[in-house]
Amino acid sequence: MKSALSLILSASLSAAILAGPVLSGPVLAAGASDTDAERAARWQEIAKLVFGDRKIAPTDSLIRIDAPNRAMDAALVPITLTMPEKDKIKAVHFVIDDNPSPYAAHFTFGPAADPSELKLRVRVNNYTNVHAVAETKDGGLYEAVKFVKASGGCSAPMGMSDEEAMKGMGDMRMKFSGEAVAGKPVEATLMIRHPNFSGMQMNQVTRDYTPARYINKLVVTAGDKTVFTMDGDISIASNPVINFGLIPEPGKPIKVAATDSQGGSWEHSFNAPSPSN
Amino acid sequence: MPARRSHRLIRVGTALAAAGLLAAAPADSPVNVPEPAGLHEGVQQGYTPKTLSGAVVVDIAALDALMPKQPLLIDVALADRKPANFPADRPWLPAHRSVPGAVWMPNAGAAPLDPVREDLFLKRVEALTGGDKAKPIVTFCHPDCWGSWNAGKRLVRQGYTAVHWFPDGIEGWQDKHETAVVREDPEWARKPVSAGER
Repeated sequence: MKSALSLILSASLSAAILAGPVLSGPVLAAGASDTDAERAARWQEIAKLVFGDRKIAPTDSLIRIDAPNRAMDAALVPITLTMPEKDKIKAVHFVIDDNPSPYAAHFTFGPAADPSELKLRVRVNNYTNVHAVAETKDGGLYEAVKFVKASGGCSAPMGMSDEEAMKGMGDMRMKFSGEAVAGKPVEATLMIRHPNFSGMQMNQVTRDYTPARYINKLVVTAGDKTVFTMDGDISIASNPVINFGLIPEPGKPIKVAATDSQGGSWEHSFNAPSPSN
Repeated sequence: MPARRSHRLIRVGTALAAAGLLAAAPADSPVNVPEPAGLHEGVQQGYTPKTLSGAVVVDIAALDALMPKQPLLIDVALADRKPANFPADRPWLPAHRSVPGAVWMPNAGAAPLDPVREDLFLKRVEALTGGDKAKPIVTFCHPDCWGSWNAGKRLVRQGYTAVHWFPDGIEGWQDKHETAVVREDPEWARKPVSAGER
């Protein structure tokens, strides 16, 4: 979608340009400032809505977030979640604190998952903390946090007409990397063509807002076993790309079922990489 | 316009590639956007002029230097728009982050603007400056946003003599300083918003 940016001024690009080294000196230290307290209060508010009264413990070991400190494109911020103790992980929640719709994604892993690494691309509205909360099989919640500098991602227009953006909607591709060895996980990249309209994007010509239309549910299975289900949101970038680990069932396909918030529904089946021996 | 814009974007891309650095703020546009005679009545997002007659254009350094004078900071950025079909069961928690202490009057830089709203904007500024036409005022929104240019223009026309326009806006500020969650000016929020204004 990047080439399309050349047609219409992108708020996200503006933000990226702004995020320049002109001011690359030390960012004003927050210290124990009001801002820190405000950001903490914000997270508490969101956590309460998403998790109720459940306690969330900080962790350095159960989940880690990798994201660029400064995103080049606020509408396409790459996020990597690493969960080294993968056998303990049941689910992961990803929250972009200062997005108006902060609860970006919820992944629940099934028996065919390898949750050690998960990548996705999101929209970021403003300089913000992002939180990843790992849910362990024993019911614990553990959070990691990272500050991301990006701005304007939720409202950044795609730089093409809505019709063009919706062309081929629901098409999918899946790529695998790593050698297939029976019973061992492989890394998969799922690419879905879908504009994932945020509902906050204005058509620069008509000045109308494109209604929200986003992938709200994704179910990936390997043979009879679930890899993961994802509850999505407008904060997931257009043309979603998700990297994940899975354990293929020899000879059985990997299926992806997606639905969107406007009733669209698509299913695709992919051949699992087969072990050579 | 598309040609001009792509030209600029290419230039930016080249700068990125060449220097491994990011280019300067968007207000430093490669095209000379002329000042309109009156207010800018087109789409708010787009290249803006480098100047605003009767006002001082400030970058972050100049704004920092101005801050000890406690200028009236007027943020006219649009509020996050809740999608009409946003599911009721998902959290919707818009929080507008801005320059700490700013008075936020969303979309007060629109043109044309409902005369009632325009009048209210001017009344609010009058109240907030205590009627002192020489009090420093800073208008801003986001980069490449005509709203703050229009707001500044309105104040210049109204006879304010220390109007400053900060085109880098909230992004320019947050690149160097912390922001604060700012609530909409209560007077501004109290008035009904005409349909189509958002």
